Amino acid sequence: MRIFQMQRISAIALVAFMAIHMVVVHYPPGHLDFSRVLVRLGQPVWKVIDIAFLFAVLMHALTGAYDVMMDVERVTPYKRVFAGLAIVAGIVAFVYGTMTIIAFQPSPEMLAAF
Amino acid sequence: MTSVNGRSRQVLVRIQRFNPDHDEKPYLQAFEVEAKPGMTLLDTLIEIKEEQDGSVTFRRSCRHAICGSCAMNVNGTNILVCHEPLRKHVDRRGRVTIRPLPYLPIIKDLVVDRTSFWEQYLRVKPWLVPPDDVPEKEFRVSPEEVTALHNAEKCIMCGACYSACQVIALNKQYIGPHALLKAFLRVLDPRDSSPGERLADLDGADGVFRCHTIFNCIDACPKELNPTQAIETLRKLVQKRLAFEEARQERQTTLTRPVSLVRD
Amino acid sequence: MYKSTGFISFVLRRFTGLVLVGYLFVHIWVIGSATRGAEAFNAQMEALETPVTLILEILLLAAVVYHGFDGIRLLIVHYFDVTDSRKSLFYAAFAISALLTIAGGIPILLFALGLTV
Repeated sequence: MRIFQMQRISAIALVAFMAIHMVVVHYPPGHLDFSRVLVRLGQPVWKVIDIAFLFAVLMHALTGAYDVMMDVERVTPYKRVFAGLAIVAGIVAFVYGTMTIIAFQPSPEMLAAF
Repeated sequence: MTSVNGRSRQVLVRIQRFNPDHDEKPYLQAFEVEAKPGMTLLDTLIEIKEEQDGSVTFRRSCRHAICGSCAMNVNGTNILVCHEPLRKHVDRRGRVTIRPLPYLPIIKDLVVDRTSFWEQYLRVKPWLVPPDDVPEKEFRVSPEEVTALHNAEKCIMCGACYSACQVIALNKQYIGPHALLKAFLRVLDPRDSSPGERLADLDGADGVFRCHTIFNCIDACPKELNPTQAIETLRKLVQKRLAFEEARQERQTTLTRPVSLVRD
Repeated sequence: MYKSTGFISFVLRRFTGLVLVGYLFVHIWVIGSATRGAEAFNAQMEALETPVTLILEILLLAAVVYHGFDGIRLLIVHYFDVTDSRKSLFYAAFAISALLTIAGGIPILLFALGLTV
């Protein structure tokens, strides 16, 4: 029940987050460099939104992948192993992803240019 | 009913054969049959068995869609062969292909091993658990409560839905649409006094949350029942299990009273 | 395999889902180049702007859009009784996905071919 609920809640959140992400980052498609991303991600509110997005997408991806694996009868005896791997992968990805989001700060050279 | 030039039509009926005593794997055997008006697929199979090859093996009993014995896979779809006309299932090349229900072990020809089907059915405890207080005359159940069951009691346990389900194809531990429909019938029955326990059992990894709403069960059901909707309802109830159990206990205090008094 | 629109939807949803899980981890890793500074990030972005990867991006768009709209269809199925319109909902999800893939894919294609900046 909990996994189903986590999947559904993260799915609903992702409908919103993905729509925002596609419009704000990828439209119109073009060359993406650090300074272009910095315009948006330099702002604290966008950092918070992106961290929440990262959390929702990891929750949905990992509960989804776990669910797909558990559909196959031969795999179900190993459910604890898969759950463990999923949780570890999720934590590592979340930490690394958050560090990346935070890394979008103006560099000393950019600040000096002002 | 169509017939060419007023005469009956020749149909090629391909039946999947497999005899474990001497066949390595199943194969299709073709029989030519004259499609007479009003002939069902079951009539066709019986005629083939009587006149062409007595070793063709299949289950059948009542001939009128109530016993559930004759569910088979015809041209890729699970149906009850006793109430399907032969002519409706002839494809563009003048053929009908009859195979046993998919994803289940084949015992012989069109007969499959339904052990897992019955085990899952028993697992949900398909019998009514009456309240301690059994009325002298009758239980009073409202028309709305009966309507909410969506005719689930009409299920004839034919196995068409179970065998069409892709989740079952991957995992025989899944409870299955047939048993979940039965569980739905019992959980929503106001006379049943253990909805909380039933819902708790359905919460597991093999229960209501393993359905992926593929809808094959609805397509296959010869009684036009809706296991998917039953499962969705159960999913909502599982998440509110304790409140539902309390509501049931409350309802059971009024089960012997006339319904109009309960409605207020 | 028991063929039906429900089966196709199920298989495509699972397939696109697994592809996207794989992509997600690659994406987090690639964007993570920003932790090594702006130059590292820009170099990584330049390296990824080959025609091949841009074509793959169109496929990625198709996967995201299909998975998303089939997912929205599932949410509708979960919260409403849509038995009678189950097939039309599937076709609608598929059609919207196809339209958005084309609408989004054309600008990417133009960019890949160097026709826009």
